Amino acid sequence: MKSRIYTYYLISLFLISTSCSTLLEPEPIDLLTDDIVLNEAKDVPNVEIGLYSAFRPIIPSTVIAGDCTADMLQFRGTFSQYRELGTKTITSANASIAALWGSIYNTIYIANFIIEKLPTVPGVKSVDRERVMGTAHFLRGYAYFIALYTYGGVPKVTGTSIEANRNIARASRTEILGFILEDYNEALGKLPTQTANAGYASDYALRAALAKYHLYNEDWAEAEQFATNVISSNQFSLEPEFETIVIDDFTDEAIFEVGYTLSDDPSTNGNIGLNYIFSGRREMIPANQLVAVLDSLNSASNSRDRYFSIKFNFNNLKGDDNGWSVDKYGTGDQDNNNVVVFRLAEMYLIRAEARAQQGKVSGSNSAQQDINALRTRAKASTVGSVTQAQMLLLIEEERKYELAFEGHRWYDLVRTGRAKDVMSAFSPNWKDAYELWPIPQREILNNPALVGNQNPGY
Amino acid sequence: MHKTLLLLFVSLTSLALAQTQRLTGKVTSLAEPDGLPGVNVTVKGTSQGTITSIGGEFSLDAEVGSIIEFSFIGYTSQQITFTGQTNETVVLVEKPTELGEVIVVGYSSIERKDITGAVSTINADKLKNLSVNGLDQALQGQAPGVQVTQSSGTPGGGVSVRIRGSTSISAGNTPLYVIDGIPVETGALGARSFGGQNDNALSLINTNDIETYTVLSDASAKALYGSRASNGVIVITTKRGKNSKTSLTFDVQRGIIDPVNTLDLLNSTQLLELQREAVTNAGENPDGFGLIEDVTDGVNTDWQDEVLRRGIMQQYQLSAMGGDDNTRFYISGSFREEEGVQLNNKFQRFGATINLDQKLTSKLSIGTNVTLSRALNKRVKGDNFLDGVYSGAIKSLPYHVAYDENGALVGPGSPLYASFPNFNPVAQALLPRFNTISVKALGNIIVTYEFNPHLKLKAQASLDYNNVTEDQYESSQTAIGGFLESVGGQGYGVFSASTFANIDSYLTLSYDKEISSSQRLNVVVGSELYQNTSIGGNVQGRLFPSDDFTYIQSAGVVDAGASFREPPHSILSFFGEARYDYDDRILITASLRADGSSNFGPNNRFGYFPTLSAAWRISEEEFWRYDFVNNLKLRASFGLTGNERIGAFNYLGQWGASTYNGSSGVVPNNVPNPNIKWETTRELNVGVDVGFLEERIQVVLNTYYNKTTDLLLVRPYALTTGFAGITDNIGEMENKGIELSVTSVNIDKDLRWTTTLNLSRNLNKVLFLADSVPLYRGYTGEGVDGTNIIKEGEPLGSFWGLNFLGVNSTTGDAIYEDRNKDGAISNADAMVIGNSQPKLIGGITNTFQYNRFDLSIFFNFSLGNKVLNFTKASTVNMGADIQTNQSVDALRRWQEPGDVTDIPRYELNSTLNNLHSNRLLEDASYLRLKNVSFGYSLPPTLVNKLMLNQLRVFASATNLWTLTKYTGSDPEVSTLDGSTSAQGIDFFTLPQVRTIAIGINATLK
Repeated sequence: MKSRIYTYYLISLFLISTSCSTLLEPEPIDLLTDDIVLNEAKDVPNVEIGLYSAFRPIIPSTVIAGDCTADMLQFRGTFSQYRELGTKTITSANASIAALWGSIYNTIYIANFIIEKLPTVPGVKSVDRERVMGTAHFLRGYAYFIALYTYGGVPKVTGTSIEANRNIARASRTEILGFILEDYNEALGKLPTQTANAGYASDYALRAALAKYHLYNEDWAEAEQFATNVISSNQFSLEPEFETIVIDDFTDEAIFEVGYTLSDDPSTNGNIGLNYIFSGRREMIPANQLVAVLDSLNSASNSRDRYFSIKFNFNNLKGDDNGWSVDKYGTGDQDNNNVVVFRLAEMYLIRAEARAQQGKVSGSNSAQQDINALRTRAKASTVGSVTQAQMLLLIEEERKYELAFEGHRWYDLVRTGRAKDVMSAFSPNWKDAYELWPIPQREILNNPALVGNQNPGY
Repeated sequence: MHKTLLLLFVSLTSLALAQTQRLTGKVTSLAEPDGLPGVNVTVKGTSQGTITSIGGEFSLDAEVGSIIEFSFIGYTSQQITFTGQTNETVVLVEKPTELGEVIVVGYSSIERKDITGAVSTINADKLKNLSVNGLDQALQGQAPGVQVTQSSGTPGGGVSVRIRGSTSISAGNTPLYVIDGIPVETGALGARSFGGQNDNALSLINTNDIETYTVLSDASAKALYGSRASNGVIVITTKRGKNSKTSLTFDVQRGIIDPVNTLDLLNSTQLLELQREAVTNAGENPDGFGLIEDVTDGVNTDWQDEVLRRGIMQQYQLSAMGGDDNTRFYISGSFREEEGVQLNNKFQRFGATINLDQKLTSKLSIGTNVTLSRALNKRVKGDNFLDGVYSGAIKSLPYHVAYDENGALVGPGSPLYASFPNFNPVAQALLPRFNTISVKALGNIIVTYEFNPHLKLKAQASLDYNNVTEDQYESSQTAIGGFLESVGGQGYGVFSASTFANIDSYLTLSYDKEISSSQRLNVVVGSELYQNTSIGGNVQGRLFPSDDFTYIQSAGVVDAGASFREPPHSILSFFGEARYDYDDRILITASLRADGSSNFGPNNRFGYFPTLSAAWRISEEEFWRYDFVNNLKLRASFGLTGNERIGAFNYLGQWGASTYNGSSGVVPNNVPNPNIKWETTRELNVGVDVGFLEERIQVVLNTYYNKTTDLLLVRPYALTTGFAGITDNIGEMENKGIELSVTSVNIDKDLRWTTTLNLSRNLNKVLFLADSVPLYRGYTGEGVDGTNIIKEGEPLGSFWGLNFLGVNSTTGDAIYEDRNKDGAISNADAMVIGNSQPKLIGGITNTFQYNRFDLSIFFNFSLGNKVLNFTKASTVNMGADIQTNQSVDALRRWQEPGDVTDIPRYELNSTLNNLHSNRLLEDASYLRLKNVSFGYSLPPTLVNKLMLNQLRVFASATNLWTLTKYTGSDPEVSTLDGSTSAQGIDFFTLPQVRTIAIGINATLK
């Protein structure tokens, strides 16, 4: 009798345990594991898109850095990250500062993963291999470029080892600069000259990045040459109406922009949802001083059509609110939610500055020509004969109007040494330390090699 | 044959010698003054007997001179000598002793006297007058070591329950709830955030169907739930049929609900004066800001008054129970509706339960419990949400209005609309539709087979199926649907549905035998398979033609949505337990459970959880001569329990889908950790049970030390790795404490007065964190990294902030301690400023019974806990913005040199006087009259006329009175509902509500 019971019992236990292995080791759903994510040709496009997807948030974060840190916007919201940027009381705990840093290294991780693994994946067509390797080098290089000019010399991460990258010291500015140029040069010749749309990196996007790189390094001749490469490629043309730049994605002058569609619009993301930050919550609104120069329909004005970048709503005019909002970034259905990395106007501005610095102020192939190309498009007054110093100041102003809210102003003021003068006049809280963002505090806490190596003044 | 003859002879003899007469009468008790049904009435020494009727009446033929015995479970038996009287009324006295009480623990039942661990039981009868939505709420203050915090006054909202503190940081601290052997879903079901307050799966259970709650606190008691037991286990049994005539009961309760408190805020004139001062102090002209005296403050709106209301609570239940020797049943149907105190907020629940037990043969029986329930929760946003209702009402400026001159709600586009960050909170309450419909089907089937009286096989299979549908629309006149064009623009609709199913089956074989007259052995072995699965999806639509179209079929753009299925989470377990009892004096229990969890990789999939416990009943020893102490038991237990509530596949490196520019690809999700393993708690418990004066006074004392190792936690990585962190076993934490419960029958005459008291103290400390890196939690505080911190050497729930030293009477600026003496105030100067964990919690209930009256008074208290009054970071903000109404505290602000005050100077857009500091931390100790109820049972004569068997009317009130120094609206709130590391933050959190209700319990004839 008893033995029979135990037999039943053992059988039932057995029935349960045989199904055990599948029960306790279920198949992942909608996931791939490390070992199979990139080991055959058909995996390559997926990882390539993943790289772009990781790269994308760098660009809106750069807009926050370039415009909120400078004199373009003022605070009128509730998020402390924008309060700090707006009132110039920046701390290393700032969420925007951590968000950009995180996006940069996410991009670098995937780029490193591709650069390490792709050469050994069998069966990949060489054109695909070239393109994806080129893209990985280009985007990694651009990520380091933004990192360098935002934070200074940052840790140089070149592999995917977690243990190595958890404890890694800052590299020197020179070392990072050299590494960016290596990456760009590695990518040269690998990227297609034409892509499906400006959402993907082309050879011209790379050349635009090189023009910017040399501008920042004051290699004026190279800067002029790469800008000319792009301008004279005839792949891009200035939109006849400036307003088109504000309200459309993929304009005729877009060289490279990060693409958002209806389904992946950043919506309420408080770090990168530019429409949410500038238009919905209005955490940052156009600074009173900027409004004064942009808001002018006078055809003799220098900015003229560039006022389309901002808009006014009477209902908002109350208290310390001037009623204006940044109008550049819409939602997915408004279809102006892409964020520009490079567009043709910037190439004109780079070339103008490089030419002016080389003494080519007016006449043919001069700064004057380039500036007037943009002014004419904006229906603003054209530039006549000016001195080199006047021209350089005009270019600074022109960049402010033309590239407003595209993430340039702070970087421009810092690289030209004008930050102290301009920013001290804008805010009594400005200090020289704000010429760089701090290393995010979280990084110093979690990376022993960074301890004691914060940027000065934070 | 001999026996029969002898019996026949005896009875014949009796017939000849004695005279048989009929005795009729009635059995009552204090609790059932109108008659106690089901009492066994037997003639001692014979097989003659009967059972009392529903009215407690009996009639029986017996010989004069014989002894009649009245016995009933839970009552002291009584004997009378039959002297020929025709009518006898017997009053049975409830057994004060609970020693023989049978308690359901784990996979078996045990008599209280044989328990070797820490177990407390609560009879649901005690809680029957409480107006609560969920069983978790009902437990507050009822059992030692159980800390219950209702997150807010929102009906059907979150409740945090901790047994002996928190043992885990990230793997969950919610106890395991087992209802009739079924582990049930806890926590929030809904997918969308409402600003910090969640819905609650446990509110789908009708508390009136519950018979007992048993709280298993130490390793030995919860051993057989091993893997999931480190947070304690709450075992619940529901009402079951009895072997008696069918009784039909009808319960009604109706009442009113009000918030316990409101905040004192500034009126228009006071606020305007303050704002003008703040602007002037910033060197600007207030007139230029449109802050004009006698114009701006032309209206004065009391926003709290606008959004709060008196709610109505009502509850109805009809239940029947009964049975015979073979079949027993319990059936109930119930309806409950509670209107929240916020406009448009309502919780409604329909439920039905059937419990059935059927004996098929003398050896085989089968049973089932089935509960179906559906709740409709009409929710409103709150807390952290700017567009919340209560939060909006606190923040909104009194010089704005809810309705325009035509009586229409003010919305986006109206010049009267305050706009970001203040939205009309009345419209935010009335216009959106946030209907959360949850459905629960809970059912099981139990088969038991008794091979012989010693050996029993039991199998159970159960299902806990929860479905939640969220039907939401925010109109174009709301913040999201209208004002925020990036989200809605012209209306915003969300529809989501998810299903959570828990399937559990177990099989046990138990053996129970007296080895000798003084030794008894009880062995249980078993196996269990538990699996939970979830699947769901949501869709969002925007750009509706008008607010007459509110479902997504009418949306102009349907651009966001998802569907998901979680991989099934399974636990496979094998367990065994042996109990040895020597002469009722020495009790020893040993057990072992092995659990395999799908959350871990092949390296560490199984965890092993042994326990050993012993008890010595000193009072049973020969030498025990102290009669006034009738029970003295020493207990000790030691064992291991585990926790595995982390997500799946942390042992694998995963890549998930991601989109870019209309294409999709993959991005890395996490770093693999193949060695991740069970979080383990070592638990030591030492206790003593003492019963005085035949159990009239019972004292249970427990002390414990629990140490959790291999804490599952995300170990933060520098982002240079490309990852934010890795889930790993990286910490150690301890909980130690002491618990006392006392039950005393103070007076046991016509007036019966009993007191139950429980006190608990728990001390928690984080002992070790890998890399010694503190983890910041909670909200971001101005100037510091977080409002809460997890740090070695400090308890969980520690608050972080600067040390506020006061206000400089010359400049009016706040002074903070520069702890690192670097001349600047930063996060490096912050410190642990306090803790949300109380030093002592407890509850005391006094019940009085006199004649037909009953009165119960229940207080609970919490001593030494701190609440972060984070609301004041906004309502006493020293001018950080002028978009938030201010507390009357601001009237004390510094205004001119020489002012000595605790409120610094107001200056627009300056946060330096509002850095996050201990200025916001308050002692939130409280003593609360949680419940008072008063009942009266109508006399039988009257009841009979109403064709009823019993009728009791009662009045009951909850949260009637509170003693606290806390200056916020309520000390008992917590935003970030259910959070472990950031409990006790009051951030625009709706206070608890006061309910006053009257009710009827009627038993039909």
